[in-house]
Amino acid sequence: MIGYAIRRTLYGLLVLFLITTFVFVVLRLIPGDVVRLQLADAPGVTQAQVDALAAELGLDQPVFTQFWSFISGAVTGDLGTSFETRLPVTEMIVERLPATLELGLLAIMFSVVLGVPLGIISAIRHNSFLDQSLRLVSVAGISVPNFWLALLLITYLSIWFGWSQPLVYAAPWENLGTNLAIMAIPALALGTSAMAAVSRMLRSSMLEVTQSNFVRTVRSRGAPERLVILKHAGRNSILPVFTLLGLQFGNILGGTVILESIFSIPGMGSLIFTSVQMRDYPVVLGCVIFYGAVFIFVNLLVDLVYAVIDPRIRYS
Amino acid sequence: MSIVQQSDADQARDAVSTDGSTPPPVARPPRRRALLRFAKQQPFGLAALILITCFVVMAALCPWLAPYDPLEQHRGSIMLPPSPEHLMGTDDLGRDVLSRTLYGARTSLLVAVFTMMLGGVVGILLGTVSGYFGGSWVDTIIQRVMDTLMAIPSIVLLLFVAALLGPSIRNTVIALSLLVVPQFNRVTRGEMLRIREETFVEAARAIGCSPWRILTRYGLPNLLAPLFVLGSLVFAGMMIAESALSFLGIGTPPPTPSWGRMLSEGSASLEIAPWIAFYPGLALSVSVLAFNLLGDAMRDFLDPKQHR
Repeated sequence: MIGYAIRRTLYGLLVLFLITTFVFVVLRLIPGDVVRLQLADAPGVTQAQVDALAAELGLDQPVFTQFWSFISGAVTGDLGTSFETRLPVTEMIVERLPATLELGLLAIMFSVVLGVPLGIISAIRHNSFLDQSLRLVSVAGISVPNFWLALLLITYLSIWFGWSQPLVYAAPWENLGTNLAIMAIPALALGTSAMAAVSRMLRSSMLEVTQSNFVRTVRSRGAPERLVILKHAGRNSILPVFTLLGLQFGNILGGTVILESIFSIPGMGSLIFTSVQMRDYPVVLGCVIFYGAVFIFVNLLVDLVYAVIDPRIRYS
Repeated sequence: MSIVQQSDADQARDAVSTDGSTPPPVARPPRRRALLRFAKQQPFGLAALILITCFVVMAALCPWLAPYDPLEQHRGSIMLPPSPEHLMGTDDLGRDVLSRTLYGARTSLLVAVFTMMLGGVVGILLGTVSGYFGGSWVDTIIQRVMDTLMAIPSIVLLLFVAALLGPSIRNTVIALSLLVVPQFNRVTRGEMLRIREETFVEAARAIGCSPWRILTRYGLPNLLAPLFVLGSLVFAGMMIAESALSFLGIGTPPPTPSWGRMLSEGSASLEIAPWIAFYPGLALSVSVLAFNLLGDAMRDFLDPKQHR
């Protein structure tokens, strides 16, 4: 078990290193000089000024030196300094992180709370009219783009119920009510596809498990159906849902980029979006690496939890 | 919504031989009969197929179907609600929403088709090579690169690449392909690993076929079924991804009509003119739904378990 955990962790770190390399190389390969961009407004900029700024930002160094100094900083948690705000990137990310995490977790919670019962119902009433309709609803849930769903919710909640969101963002520790009122619609829109995916996955895995021999044995011994479904079949069919949630977490993280910009939520999504537009390389680099790290970490966690729950996969 | 259903790959791989055996390469029934069987067994799949046909016809014939020029601005008719003259109303520049939605289908379809062609071909090639040489250093290198691409959340990767390349349809296709390649690579590699252990491949090797001949003659034909399933599901994902990029303003550049951009333009006037954002979003959702349904139906149809 410990060997497995170490192997998986090392592999995660390797992928993280590869992400960093990939992003770094792409950023440096793309034309568009940040120094000229920053000085573009001022007419009559001399070459000396350009050089001075480049030197200040460390852009006059060879690419390999830049990469090395970045990596050695990143290991200690220093992701460099923003070109725009001159603040440490790590600080900017840490400041924006809570909103994104809250949004992501709310979306996941929504998807599990609704997706699990729907999946179970679908599996129990296999091939009934209810099951068919729920399946169609799930496919629809996967197909509807979350940004359109969010726009629809804003529009029709306000037209039909006269309800509109608070305009100014508040952190949960400042004003929990306002915070949740702002987060509700984006979390709902973001969680819908994960919810649909969870219910689909649970339906098919539960169908598979309920047809297996051990469930037949449990049933033949006279166990009540409730116990069969929730305890025996449920435990075994929830495993693939874990893996699915880990993978869905990536989609949810990505989805925050769009939803944060629609709802003006000050999270990492809006940070990376504005930084990309301003070519604030260090912030973009830091954000992509951070997103990758969170995604890798979550899936590592899923794999480890999985190995604890299901001892069969440890040595594979 | 999700840009790329990360589980698509698994689902597609399950499409063929969930019980671990390959369907023997027997003579197949004529294609027409297979299509009939598909229509009978998968009513949703048939409906999806019809929807997709309508969608393609819409995209192909939009210059004749559209009542107005999608780019023509009418200062006198701004934000008109749906009416017999403008079935879906007009937007904030007085452009006809119906015409723009029809042309948007063309943009969406073109981007997705080119993405599938570029990303699909590269992904299948890499996956085939990787699977055939499974376990060797070639395989290892390819898989590490793919893992890296898959470990970055898809929109973040798209945003990063598309924004750096600049907004244009070509660059959107390049950025989206980066999402498609790992998906096709994964499924192709998995199938190849399985196929290369088959007796008929062993036989081919024994009579001295070159690796190239084995790949093209025995590998690829056996890959087609799961790849069709994957292709349909990925196609749906790419349509959403294209509009997500356009929504963020880094995909299809204006004034080309694109569903994503129409959505973001409409989001400014949701409460006074909801139709501007409603109809393009509906068109997008329905077409994505059709491709997802088709993919599901094909998977069920090809799944040997379903025939029992």
